[in-house]
Amino acid sequence: MKRILLTGNGAAAWGARLACADYVPAFPITPQTEIIETLADWIDNGEMPGRLVTLDSEHSMITAAGAAAATGVRVFSATSSQGLLYGMEMLYTVAGWRAPFVLVNVSRGLASPITLEPDHNDILAARDCGFLQIHCATCQEVLDSVLIAYRLSEASSVRLPVIVNLDGFYLSFTREPVQIPDLKAAAAFVGAFDAEDIRFRASAPTSQAMAVLGGSPYSYFRYETHLAALQALDAYETIASEFEEKFGRNHPAVETYRCDDAEMLFFMIGCFATKAKVAVDRLREAGWKIGLVRPRLIRPYPAEAIRTILRGKHGVAVIDQNLSMGFGGVLHSELASALYGQPDMPHILASFIGGLGGRDISTEEFFEIATTLKRAIVSGETPAPRLLYTEDELKQIEKLQLIAHVERTGGERE
Amino acid sequence: MSDQRFRHLKDIPSTHIFGSGTPACAGCGGLEVIHQLYEVLGEKTVFINAAGCMTLLSIYPFTPFRGSWLYTAMASAPAGAQGVRDALDILLEQGRIEPSENLTTVVLTGDGSAYGMGLSATSGAIERGLDFIYLCYDNEGYGNTGQQYSEATPHGAKTSTSTGPRGYPGYKKSIFDIWIAGHPAYAATVIGAEPLDLARKIDKAMQFKGPKMITALSPCPTGWGFDPKESVEIGELAVKTGVWPLKEYVDGKVIHTKVPRKRLPVEEYLKRQGRFAHLFNPSRHESTLNEIQQRIDRYWEQVE
Amino acid sequence: MYRIRFHGRGGQGVKTASRILGTALFDAGFEVQDAPRYGAERRGAPIFAYVRADKKTICERGIILRPDLVAVADDSLVAMPAAGVLQGIDDHTVLLISSATGAETWRERLNLNCTIIVIPAGESDADRSAQPYLGTICAAAAAMMTGLIPQEGLIAAIKEELAGMATETIEKNIHNAIKSYESMAEHKGIISEGEELSFSSYAPPSWVDMPFEAARISSPTIHAGATSVLVKTGLWRTMRPIIDPEQCKRCWWICSSFCPDGIINVSEEGEPQIDYDHCKGCLVCLSQCPSHAITAIAESVAGSVTKSKPNESKP
Repeated sequence: MKRILLTGNGAAAWGARLACADYVPAFPITPQTEIIETLADWIDNGEMPGRLVTLDSEHSMITAAGAAAATGVRVFSATSSQGLLYGMEMLYTVAGWRAPFVLVNVSRGLASPITLEPDHNDILAARDCGFLQIHCATCQEVLDSVLIAYRLSEASSVRLPVIVNLDGFYLSFTREPVQIPDLKAAAAFVGAFDAEDIRFRASAPTSQAMAVLGGSPYSYFRYETHLAALQALDAYETIASEFEEKFGRNHPAVETYRCDDAEMLFFMIGCFATKAKVAVDRLREAGWKIGLVRPRLIRPYPAEAIRTILRGKHGVAVIDQNLSMGFGGVLHSELASALYGQPDMPHILASFIGGLGGRDISTEEFFEIATTLKRAIVSGETPAPRLLYTEDELKQIEKLQLIAHVERTGGERE
Repeated sequence: MSDQRFRHLKDIPSTHIFGSGTPACAGCGGLEVIHQLYEVLGEKTVFINAAGCMTLLSIYPFTPFRGSWLYTAMASAPAGAQGVRDALDILLEQGRIEPSENLTTVVLTGDGSAYGMGLSATSGAIERGLDFIYLCYDNEGYGNTGQQYSEATPHGAKTSTSTGPRGYPGYKKSIFDIWIAGHPAYAATVIGAEPLDLARKIDKAMQFKGPKMITALSPCPTGWGFDPKESVEIGELAVKTGVWPLKEYVDGKVIHTKVPRKRLPVEEYLKRQGRFAHLFNPSRHESTLNEIQQRIDRYWEQVE
Repeated sequence: MYRIRFHGRGGQGVKTASRILGTALFDAGFEVQDAPRYGAERRGAPIFAYVRADKKTICERGIILRPDLVAVADDSLVAMPAAGVLQGIDDHTVLLISSATGAETWRERLNLNCTIIVIPAGESDADRSAQPYLGTICAAAAAMMTGLIPQEGLIAAIKEELAGMATETIEKNIHNAIKSYESMAEHKGIISEGEELSFSSYAPPSWVDMPFEAARISSPTIHAGATSVLVKTGLWRTMRPIIDPEQCKRCWWICSSFCPDGIINVSEEGEPQIDYDHCKGCLVCLSQCPSHAITAIAESVAGSVTKSKPNESKP
């Protein structure tokens, strides 16, 4: 095992290499491209067996990925943002095939306006498609999660494709120390791909992914897919424990940081969660009983694990790097539905929207979120959802609008 | 290249391996082509299906395929074929399956996908030299949704989305020409009404490695407006009037496999179909009829 | 935690600088995080990269707002607001500038109380954006100033990060690096870790309730043409083309037609004039001029030779 500095993209590529992926259908998109470039380089220069094919679009790429998995090889692919959405039809389609593979998504905000920088609307748009989702906060986790994802995806009780998600820029282009497991140990952990009975062979004709007539068989197949996703909760625990045994790194379905005696919690996913840890440490130094909860699994949703952690806490600040137009933060609404009607749940579930399109969330802002939460706990009143956006930022936008010849009636806001 | 296997009509199989019991319309010209093709290709095949009429060939738990089949989506059947082909090649290379387990990869698509939504994926597959057969059953419209016009609809045809007195204003484009611009291993036009020509072409296609295209005009009783029993007759007329040239592309050259020397007037083909009825009743639409005839004549002048 | 930011122009090896220092610190036993900031990585355009190093796991992420060291490979960026060189500098920060101008002059010019150290860069007529070793020089100086990296560690890091380049290039970089490293010996260990932000004294963010504005205001629409002329891309330029009116043959304005940015205006008399507010210094005009009437000089020494023409085409 060696420990080197690696970008999140590099870590994703190493994950695919160590998992001995046979086949990589690819399509370039920022900030993911480095992953497929790295794999192409290894494959072209004989450092990694396997085959990489660039398709004509992400729609085609995900089709090819699913089709190859349905034929019985181990498949890896990667995309981001618009690409994930361009392939959205096929995400739903191939998940229904019950053919396992791993797709890395490097999160990036969605158009319009176009941006290259990250938030989580892309990946959360895919939350209902049948792919499982593992969300990473460090480059190490990216590599480890790809290995874990193959086990989870290929588990007999699951058989669903898995997306491993990492944030663009803050992970994709950021180097951090990453332990690279030995190929042998990784291969032993992941194991050989067993296509079971879902594959194409001349001696055993199969027709896959056909139509059904009527809602009854449709309901059966769809709900079975849902049950398989739920099976992944237990399967994940088993696989993560085995991973920890073999490699010494613990990646629970829900990460907790200084939660045991905490009265209030930050709740978020992705790599900005490590920034929340810094704020937790500073707040703890000031005597605050605060911690961080970070689900790594978003599909399946680890509801019971979250309830166990939140039981008896006074308040939770949910920080969403996404926005469901006309409603608000996706994590906030999902958490609320998981807690509603359950005994001893926090009374305050405050919603904060921040980090959209790569906007930073500063330590001061974490402090202010905590302060707002504490005030709400004391008063018993849930605060209105808060966008992390400052007066200065608004003034900057007005300057840009001036250049864009945006006319305001009498210079006043309506 | 030999045509030995199919010299006479009697060489065409008399027993059929493509399963009956599909929900395709009675008299479907597309289904006729599929079963004729399947009997030449055999069961060691995997069909990758694009959205269209033939999506419904396999409805759980019924499939007419004795070999394998995979449904993808409207836009990306060739990409599905890429994934399957590459996976089989990887399994063969690594010795994880016996060569006897190998399958021929076939894309099955209608004209809606072939001429439009699926072009990007098709173009990519040709460019990558994917070893597959691409079968387009061309019924000249989005048949599965009720015959709206597609990019393959002929000029003047009435469809669900061209109901005016002049029918469809556009002109059918040539998917054959689009394909051969990419220099595939083989390309051919066929029709169910000419089974020997069809069998020979499928047999020939099987001898090439790389992208191979077979496009079949597929008379559609439901969408075109004729009695199902006339399906083959309509197909024959398409050939005899010169509407549907039978040709193939081999070694960079286009060869017509059947040249109708004494072409019937196109009217003979048009007036048999409800979709062109407005060109004759209540009065003849001479300018449109002339234009259609002239376009056919011009095509064959260039051939001859 | 050490927080170090490198600034330069695309082509000067700023990303490599952050990786060299990152690798050297990692090899010296530190936890490290390094990253370039992409977006304007075009040759000549201002870019930056950053390095964090700590004995503990690093949880902080993103752009460094309170730097301990700011290293600048190209001194023309210091005063350019868009480059953000001076962002977050306080009294504890060390500002390292590769420059022909002395530290005292910089101190007066910038009115800063922080330590300013200059890596002497001779007045050169070479193209500064074609000097990828500038980044290495800054990385080497920074390495000495941390006091944490032995010379052999620096060399090993350079070899690792430049692996795949020509041996000659690597040798030249190492040569320059050692020179720069040694020249900073008197400043060994001058960088101090900034204080961690404490909850008791933080300045609350001035959050604002986003006001509703109708689509005609709030859609991402520009209601005018050619507003891009407000962007002074002339600031990217490291080499300045100069037209010699004596040599110019008043041809069919070849230079103007081929200029990718379309910034050579031809007067009614057929005389071409370069809009230096927007000229990026690609020197296509110089290569195309049939009468060789165009020459180029380094921007760093050009100030006294030509004056920037005011932008004539306002949106």
